[in-house]
Amino acid sequence: MNEESKKGTIHPLTLLANQALQVFSELGFEIATGPELESDWYNFYVLNFPKDHPALDMQDTFWVRDPEGESATTGKKVLRTHTTTVTARAVEKAGIDGRMPCAFISIGKVFRNEATDITHEMQFFQIDGTMVGENISIADLKGVLTHFYKKMLGPEVEIEFRPSFFPFTEPSLEVFAKFKGKWLEMMGSGMLHPNVLRNCGLDSSKVQGFAFGGGLDRIAMIKWGIPDVRLFYQGDLRLNQF
Amino acid sequence: MLYSYNWLKWYIPDAPEADKLADIITYHIAEVENVKHSVFDKKEDWILDIKILPNRAHDLLSHLGIARELGSLLNINFVDPTSKYKIPESKPTKLKITIDTEKCRRYMGRIIRGVKVGPSPEWIVKHLESIGQRSINNMVDAANLVMFDCGQPTHVFDLNKTSGELIVREAKNEEELTTLDNKELKLKNYNVVIADSKKALAVAGVKGGKIAEVDNNTKDIILEIANFDPISVRKTAQYLNIFTDARKRFENDLSPELAPHGMRELSALILEMCPGAIFEDIVDVYSQKQEERKLLFNVEKISKILGANIDVKDVTNIFKRYNFFYTEDSGIFTIAVPAMRLDLEIEEDMAEEIGRIMGYDKVKPKIPGISFIPKTDETYAKISWARNQLLSEGYSEVMTYTFCDKGEVEVMQSASDKKFLRTNLSDGLKESLKLNSANVLLLGMDTVKIFEIGTVWCPNEEIHVSYFGDTMPKPEEMKLEDYCKNIPSDVSLSTFHFQPSTRRFAPWSLFPFIVRDIAVWVPEGESEEKLKKILKENATNLLIKEPYIFDSFTKEDRTSYAFRLVFQSYDRTLTDAEINEIMSKITNKIKDKKTNGIGWQVR
Repeated sequence: MNEESKKGTIHPLTLLANQALQVFSELGFEIATGPELESDWYNFYVLNFPKDHPALDMQDTFWVRDPEGESATTGKKVLRTHTTTVTARAVEKAGIDGRMPCAFISIGKVFRNEATDITHEMQFFQIDGTMVGENISIADLKGVLTHFYKKMLGPEVEIEFRPSFFPFTEPSLEVFAKFKGKWLEMMGSGMLHPNVLRNCGLDSSKVQGFAFGGGLDRIAMIKWGIPDVRLFYQGDLRLNQF
Repeated sequence: MLYSYNWLKWYIPDAPEADKLADIITYHIAEVENVKHSVFDKKEDWILDIKILPNRAHDLLSHLGIARELGSLLNINFVDPTSKYKIPESKPTKLKITIDTEKCRRYMGRIIRGVKVGPSPEWIVKHLESIGQRSINNMVDAANLVMFDCGQPTHVFDLNKTSGELIVREAKNEEELTTLDNKELKLKNYNVVIADSKKALAVAGVKGGKIAEVDNNTKDIILEIANFDPISVRKTAQYLNIFTDARKRFENDLSPELAPHGMRELSALILEMCPGAIFEDIVDVYSQKQEERKLLFNVEKISKILGANIDVKDVTNIFKRYNFFYTEDSGIFTIAVPAMRLDLEIEEDMAEEIGRIMGYDKVKPKIPGISFIPKTDETYAKISWARNQLLSEGYSEVMTYTFCDKGEVEVMQSASDKKFLRTNLSDGLKESLKLNSANVLLLGMDTVKIFEIGTVWCPNEEIHVSYFGDTMPKPEEMKLEDYCKNIPSDVSLSTFHFQPSTRRFAPWSLFPFIVRDIAVWVPEGESEEKLKKILKENATNLLIKEPYIFDSFTKEDRTSYAFRLVFQSYDRTLTDAEINEIMSKITNKIKDKKTNGIGWQVR
């Protein structure tokens, strides 16, 4: 056997993540990472989720039992429900380091406490990004995401932006892709809410920016025709086909 | 919420056809999940399921709300029904209402005497049934109709089952209440109830109680049109685990200014159903008046957010259609925020309002160029390096579950029985190796070698690297940093090494496979390809892999080729008998002179 055939096979989500990161790297985004177990501050409140608000119902959260009991100072811990946590941390740090404008992209595991089926899994991967500067607008958001999905799903794919709601963006837009004749919901996006910018230590009268986030598993399922999201986490090498 | 197209048409008679309307709603307001055609009493209708977004639940969870929005959006006639509601003559009342908690902002009550409880008029039954609501009796139906029509939840008490006054107060700890659907509740002191001088009658904004339920013998009633604090309603309903349409509306916050409309509509409906009833004066305790709000924004800022040129004329055009009161001075608008639009608070909200009304397709996409020099993320660099290292050593990547049944960090509630976060990757890899070793023949590998890079909690969060193979006694596992001790300092991330594939996923069978080996003597010099071809042609479509040659040798003037055949079905478990049959067919073919000119010998 030659050297090449001895090489191991790669998980399709890694393959896709690398491809996505490359697309964003080429547009000038910096790759960021962060913890999977987060404070409720970075998962929710920095992102303008009001306490005791129905907006929290949009996320089925795994709260973690604190062995030392709940403490008011550290807040509660959650398994992150989105990697917008990474975005928030990165933007906050960029502000402190005086690195403005800035752009970050992250891909990481996120968790939702819900019953599993062919399209729902308790763990999946999310791609999340942001660009902040003086004049970053929805036009830029549309340009970046349209470019991204054409790279991922092929140049023939059509992209559309429809009104939506997320606590951390205002305006908020849902991104849809038309792939093989069908409109599919791809990710949430919008302009960072001024409260989020302020929570990250930025002056919302001076900078603005877009943010977006959505499932990577979903892109993989659409792109390759993988029928069941649960196949990604079975440890079955028959998945590594690409 | 479900919306009846015909119901909407009452208010917007010039609305476009249902499918077209659904598209307009999706592109400018909120996603229409589906449109169902229905024929109701020989009359066609279309039921739209609209996923109203949390920020518009205040005003759009109602037929009137959506119709008003569409009237403005499409600049078509909106027929305001308010003036059509008959106002009953009313008499002085002795109804006494006290609000004893900050969690109630407004409470309107009205006594009506001499009502006749019975079935609802046909049109009310049809309206409710069209959106999936069951008709109960005329009083309950009227209350429900008002909610689905204008968005204001209401309640009806049997006056003669109450004693004295109505008090809105916090519950006593352990105070008991039986709901209309016979659920026995034990309340907490942060729950709010509607009570009389003796007992709690209802959980405010959540659910009515059995004690003052309207039944077929009810003669006199009290109408409740109230407004409660959204957080209080949410906390109470969460604690009691009760989901009602009223809860949904209150927890999203409603304007107390909606209450008079609800009272007017409900009174008119009851007057229509019970023309002989005697209406008493409305008692309106409005303890926390909604303030009038102004919102200031600069049209330049709107353009800057959207990345499109919006001018004063675009904005004034929208405001005229939406009946917003505004003033404008050199591009700076001041608007009086309509009472129902609790979502409009800041400049950015107006960017959304203008963006969605115009349609986001009007914003031309562009690729931004920014002066930002990305740095290398150390964790990502290490993970990539470790992964490439393991791949090049022949290990294949797997991902397993973060959750397991024992560990050091536990989630409080889970939809699954695995409530702990993993403390290692090895346990998952052992399972994975077992699975893959059983499939080694399907995978076309000689041995199975796997790895995972992932997060564990012991109890602090760490990223681990683990690898395992069927020639190793146990998995190796270490921290990412330890694995990367020898990482070159100049590791570059510019070498993304993947080749994106457009291939479609090939699903695998969930049924067991059967393996058969066959060895054949062929004349020396005969290639293996000819034999392979015969095998492929005769092994049927149950052969799921290329025949795989695992042995060959030459003795005297003959060569022996040994092939391995793997059979598997996508829809059933194969039996030995059917594979034996295929194998004997293959054997006969090989022996037959016609197949290869000589007739080979199967060993």
